[in-house]
Formats: sequence, C-alpha cells, structure tokens
Amino acid sequence: MADENDNERIDENQRPDKMFTLKKWNAVAMWSWDVECDTCAICRVQVMDACLRCQAESKKDSYGKQDCVVVWGECNHSFHYCCMSLWVKQNNRCPLCQQEWSIQRMGK
Amino acid sequence: MYNLKMLKGKGQLKFEDKWVHMRPIVLKLLKQEAVSQAEWHDLFYDVHLVCLWDEKGPAKLRDHLHEDIVQFIKQAQSRVLAQREEEALLKAYIAEWRKFFTQCNYLPTPFRQLESSLQGKTTSASSSMQGSNNKTNSSDECIVRKLMLDSWNESIFSDIKHRLQESAMKLVHAERNGEAFDSQLVIGVRESYVNLCSNPDDRLEIYRENFEAAYIQSTEMFYKLKSSQYLAENGVQAYMKYADAKLKEEESRAQRYLEAGCYDVIQCCVKVLVQNSLPMLIAECAPLIKAGETDRLQLMFRLLERGPLGVQLMLQQLERHISQAGLADMVAAADVITQDSEKYVERLLDLFRKFSKLVHDAFSDDPRFLTARDKAFEAVVNDTTVFRLELSSGRNVAGKMVTPESKCPELLANYCDLLLRRTPLSKRLTSEEIETRLRDVLLLLKYVSNKDVFMRYHKAHLTRRLILDSSADSEKEEDMVEWLREVGMPADYVNKLARMFQDIKVSEDLNALFRTSTERHDAINIKILNAGAWARGSERVTVSLPVELEDYIPEVEDFYKKKHSGRKLQWYHHMSNGTITFATNGGKFDLDVTTFQMAVLFAWNQRPTDKIAYENLRLATELPDGELRRTLWSLVAFPKLKRQLLQFYPSVSAPKDFDEHTVFWVNQDFALIKNGKPQKRGKVNLVGRLQLSTERSQIEDNQSIVQLRILRTQEAIIKILKMRKKITNTALQSELVDILKNMFLPSKKMIKEQLEWLIEHKYMRRDDDDINTFIYVA
Ligand SMILES: [Zn+2]
Ligand SMILES: [Zn+2]
Ligand SMILES: [Zn+2]
Repeated sequence: MADENDNERIDENQRPDKMFTLKKWNAVAMWSWDVECDTCAICRVQVMDACLRCQAESKKDSYGKQDCVVVWGECNHSFHYCCMSLWVKQNNRCPLCQQEWSIQRMGK
Repeated sequence: MYNLKMLKGKGQLKFEDKWVHMRPIVLKLLKQEAVSQAEWHDLFYDVHLVCLWDEKGPAKLRDHLHEDIVQFIKQAQSRVLAQREEEALLKAYIAEWRKFFTQCNYLPTPFRQLESSLQGKTTSASSSMQGSNNKTNSSDECIVRKLMLDSWNESIFSDIKHRLQESAMKLVHAERNGEAFDSQLVIGVRESYVNLCSNPDDRLEIYRENFEAAYIQSTEMFYKLKSSQYLAENGVQAYMKYADAKLKEEESRAQRYLEAGCYDVIQCCVKVLVQNSLPMLIAECAPLIKAGETDRLQLMFRLLERGPLGVQLMLQQLERHISQAGLADMVAAADVITQDSEKYVERLLDLFRKFSKLVHDAFSDDPRFLTARDKAFEAVVNDTTVFRLELSSGRNVAGKMVTPESKCPELLANYCDLLLRRTPLSKRLTSEEIETRLRDVLLLLKYVSNKDVFMRYHKAHLTRRLILDSSADSEKEEDMVEWLREVGMPADYVNKLARMFQDIKVSEDLNALFRTSTERHDAINIKILNAGAWARGSERVTVSLPVELEDYIPEVEDFYKKKHSGRKLQWYHHMSNGTITFATNGGKFDLDVTTFQMAVLFAWNQRPTDKIAYENLRLATELPDGELRRTLWSLVAFPKLKRQLLQFYPSVSAPKDFDEHTVFWVNQDFALIKNGKPQKRGKVNLVGRLQLSTERSQIEDNQSIVQLRILRTQEAIIKILKMRKKITNTALQSELVDILKNMFLPSKKMIKEQLEWLIEHKYMRRDDDDINTFIYVA
C-alpha cells in the first residue's frame, strides 16, 4: 500500500518535469466482421453492409438498425444471418462448400 | 290532286302567256319598287302554274329571270361606273349592292315552286351558272338567290372589282398615312365580297381571293417601302419601336377591315417588318444583353417571337453572352477564387443571380431563355480554364489522362465545410444565414456535371467533422443530408452519409459505456466505427505509439471483445488525435495535435534538450517517410504560429528537402503570442486538416472515382438492356445519360469502351443486321 502511494506521489511530482503530458486522446478504430470473404455469396453485398433486404427496409426507418449481423458455419464460411436463415429453409447446405450447414458462431 | 284534274281539262298552258304578267312584277321587285299584295300573290300562283303545266316552263322561267337580273345589274353597274372619284364610286357601289342584296332575300320567295321543279329533275337547259348544286336544299342556297348572286358576281363584280379593291386599298393606304376617311366604305366593300358566296364549301372564297389578297398585297407594298426607309433614317433601336407599334396598329386595323381574322396579313407584316431585317435586329442583340437593356430586349423578344428563327438566334446570343461573360469574370478573379472557396461560391452565385435577373427582366422567365441560361451557366461551372481536376483511370500505367474536369465540386464541398464546421465564418452567421448559403450551394451543385466528386469531398469533410467533433451544428449536418436527397443526389450516396451519422451515435454510446466501465480512463475517448461506412478500402498507417497511448490499447480491445464477437478491430491512428500539455520555461500550453504529432513530440520526453536527427525520429516513431516529413513540417512551420514548437537545422524550404541528418529540437522559448506579447498560458490547434488517407491512397482515391464511374456505367448499360432487350446506340446513350447525370456525365469515349467490354464479355451483342443496335444476352 505504502509503495503504491509513494509511486503515485512520485508520478505526480514527475509530471511537471515531463515536457509533454497527455491530456486527452481521441482514439479511432474501425471494426469489421472477421471473415475470409468480404462478400455475402447469397445476396452479393459486402458483409459490412446490411443485406439487400435490410437495406431496402432501413430506407423506411432511416436510423437505428444495426442488427444485420454475420453468421459463421462450421465450415468457416460466413454470410449475412438474414440471408442464411432464408437459405436454409430451402437447402440446409452451405452455398459455397455444400457441407451440411450448422452454425459455428454469430456476430454481435 | 283536285287542281291537277281540273286544270288539265283546260288544255295546255304556255309559259310565254304567263311571263307577260309575271315580268313587270319581277322588275318592280328588282328595283325595290312597291308591289301590291295581289301582284305578289299572282306571282306565286303563276310560278306554280308554269312549273306544273308547261314541261319546259321551269327552265324557261329561270332563263328569263336570269336575263332580267343581268339586265338590272348592268344598269346598276353603269350607275356605279359613272362615278369618277374613289369615295363616290365606293359609295355608289355599296348603295347598289345593299339594295340588290336586300332583294336577294325577297325575290326568291315566290319562286319556291321553281326551286323544287328544277331540283326534282335535271333540266335539259343546263345554263352556264348551273353548278352541281342539287345536293344542297337549304333555303340559303336556293337557286334564284344563287342566280342573283352569281349574276352580280359575273357581271358587275368581275368588271369593276379591281377598281373597287384599288379604291378601297387607296383608302386604307391613306389611313396608314394618317388621313381620316369613312371606314364604312372599306367595310361595305368587304361585306359585298363576303356575301357573294357562291361556293357553299368555302363561303369566303371570293372575299379571300380578291379582297384579302389585295389587302395583304397593299400592306406588304406599303411596309416594304416604309420599313427600309425608317430603318435607314432612324436606326435599329427606333426601328424596333416603330415595327412593334405598326404591328399592333395593323392588328387592330385588320380587325376592322378583314373578315376572317388577321393571321395572314400579320404574318405578311412580320415578314416585311421583322424577318427581312432580322440580321440587323440580331446584330443589336448582343450589345443590348451586354448593356443589360432589358426594356429593349423585351421589345426585341416581342418582335422576334412573331416570326420563325428570331428567338432561336436570340437564345444563341444569350447563351454566348452568359458563358463568355461568366468565364471572363472567373478568369479575372482567378487569383482569389482558386484560393478561397467562399469567394468562389459568392462569385458564382453573383453571376447566376445577375443572369437570372436578366432573363427575368428581359424575357419574363420564358422557359426557352431559362434553358439557355442553364446551358450556359453549366458551361461556366464546368469549365476547366481557371482550375482543373485531373482524374486518371490508373488502368493504363502509361499515364493516360482522362479529360480534366472542373474543380467546382471540390470548392463547393470546401465551402460547405466552412459553413458546417466551427469556423470564424460559421460563428459569424446565424442559423438561417447558414441554411440559405447551404441551399445556394445546392443550387450551384445542380449545374455541376461531376457530382460524384462533390460527394466524395463532402463525405471526406463530414468524416473529419465527425471524428474531430468539429461540427458547428449537428442538426444542420443531418438537414444537409436530407437536402442532398431532395436535390436528387443518388440515394446510395446519400444513404452512406446517413449511415455515418447513425454509426457515430452508436460509437458515442459505446464510448460512454467504456468510460463508465472504469475510472482510470478520463483521458481517453474511443470512436469505434463501422469500416463499411467510413473507410472502405482506405489504407492504414503504422506508427509506434508513445507508451502513454499504447497502454490504453489492450484495455479497449478487451472491452470491445466483451461487447461484440466475430469482429476485428483496426486502429486508425492517422485519424486519431488529442490534446497534450506542453510545459516550457515560460509557461504551459495546451496543444490539440494529431496522434502522429504526439508520437513525434513525445520522443523528447526522455531527452528534452536533445537535438534528434531525422533518421532517429523515424526509428522512434516508425512512421512512413512521407508521413514523418509532413508531420515534422507541421511542427516546424505551422502557418498560424509566430514561434514554432520545433526548430531544425539545416534550413530547408519544403518537407521533401529534409534529409536523414537534419536535426530537430524543441523550442524552449515557445510561447503563444498575443498582441505582440508572449503568453504564459494558452491553447492552440495544430491538427490542421485531418488526414484521412495517405498520399498514395489519394491517388487511389482519384482512381477509384474513375473506376466507380466505369462500374456505374456498366451497371446502367446492363439495366437498360435488361429492360429494353434491344436498343439502338442513340437511344441507349440518351437513357444512359439520364440514369447517370446525377452522379457524373459519362463521356462518349468511356461509354464506347464499356460497350465494347460488355460485348467482349458476352453480356450483350450487336445486331447482325445493324451494328448500331445492341441486344441483351441473358
Ligand atoms: Zn447477404
Ligand atoms: Zn439483413
Ligand atoms: Zn461452407
């Protein structure tokens, strides 16, 4: 405890000695889905964009929709969740590798 | 039937016996003398008998009647011709005619029986005036009446119509010269022409072929002489007034003297007064436009609008003036407007308002002139004389340049940025003023043909404002997006902007969560943005962060992983920024800096007074050469600072001239200067224009505009072909321009290249019979 307090005091004393001290940092990062292929093979839209259906809908309620997520299969192929959930109703195989489709994980 | 039997018993009845009694009554009627009721009645009865009992009676009756009518007319003619003097002649003619015309309504009445007899059978006595009149039975067209009118027409009228017309036209001529006379004389003559209708299909035939033709001819003669004389003596300006007044005068005169509208005679006047002098009039157009003589232009427009070609020539003059004057204005102000987007926009708007006012005042906003204004203004806006934007496709490494484009959209976007960012300008203006100016920009944008360039710059500026939190008014930011939608910017462009607003809100919420998750983080704000909305394809720049910053990274990443899954994060340090405190010998200053500037400055924290060589700074920061040079330059030569943060040796005049041995050191005497005095405290922003991409990707950016255009063109061609299946080249081109014009104007060359590419790749083919027709290949 005493050590920590000492350290803090030393820090505070040292701070004015430093020529440049950080006051505020606005850090910018970009996120993207961790996918191998940028494009959803079902709707041919980039996975970073909402799928075609969601794009058409979001024109109506312009803001707020952010839930067109990506889904990964056991085969590691990835698609829009919206697109895949429609696809499996017809055909329970991955459109890219024809393996039986099972969900490995969902984007959030 | 009863009568018939009874009379048959009396034996044959002869026409000649009856005519003796009928004739005196007929003559009385012709002369408008009084006829007793008994005589009137007898005439009816005799006609009836003659028609019934004498087989040749009707024909004979008609021939005799004709003879008497002609005889009467001859007498009338000699009475008329006895008059030598013009007015008297006309008066006499009109009097005789009116009398005769009245009788045309009376005389036929007793001859009804004759009508039906003659019409019942085609008589052998086919006289000269017997037309094929059988089909018309109307009382108007009764045979006797026609006989009377035709006789009048053939005898008196054809003999003296030239004298009549001449006299009438002499009167009109006198009137044109300002002499007063009895206009009833001309009107009376006209009426006689009109009523001499023998052709039931064209009741005005005689009038038109004689009276109107003479009227038009004399009008033409009159003005042919007068107009060239007037023009020569008084000049074009006065002549326009003259012609305008005369045309109006002739319109009202024609209303008085002509029967069926004044179209033909006015057309003739227009030909003589306007069309014949068209070159002279048009020559005056450009000087009038230049001098802004709107009243005179109005007059010229009114005149030239009456005939063909004139307005078209005026439109050409207007268009030429606007594009020339507009360009000259731009060139004259080139020094200012290329540097200052506000001045540029103001200048363009001034021009636009000036030209619009001209079109309004001189041409009452006639749609044709508005179109000419738009066309010319478009040329000014998209001109590349003053400044140009070079867009290369990058496809051919040989450096094939695409046609240069106007820099206008870039400047418009810069101006929007000045209005939407916290700047001295936006602080000075009220919210309403800013809105007005933004709408002005949108007005100008309408004329820009490369709107995609505007959108790219606008998006870049918006990105900076959102990342630096430097918007003057976030509501206005979102209004602007909707306005762009309203003016027809393509939906996908506008949606991208809307998506950025949406995303920045999500990011703000996330930042709030992060900051409450632990108390240690009061120095950091995070913006974690959707790469699809903000930075597709843009390149990151590596930098070795100072420990103070580096420490935060794992914590942010852990936090983010807990919130989301399936996502990867990439740090965009060229976009991040912050505030640092700089403690000098003389004071303490807050500096707003980029992360790169921070990385460079923090290199001195361990060795505050050292001189550090360029090469060592490169090793410490790991910044790419170009970025390091640019960053250092912003610290040794920041335009707003009197005393710079860093000093260096040896001196150079541009960042490219630093070499690896150039040394840099912190200026220990740094201070902000106010009113010539160094301050102890203060804050300064050194961020300047936040860089969104590296130099290399700026070239890529330009290329991506061209690539995107190629893609859009291909998409649009396929879309059209899918719909039309088969389409000619011309039709395709025009539909293509229609689809793309809200983004850019596709060049003919580019369209051709894309068509060939699509054919080569079997998306479409040429028609076997016509190489200029394309067919969709499914
Ligand atoms: Zn999809
Ligand atoms: Zn979706
Ligand atoms: Zn698969």
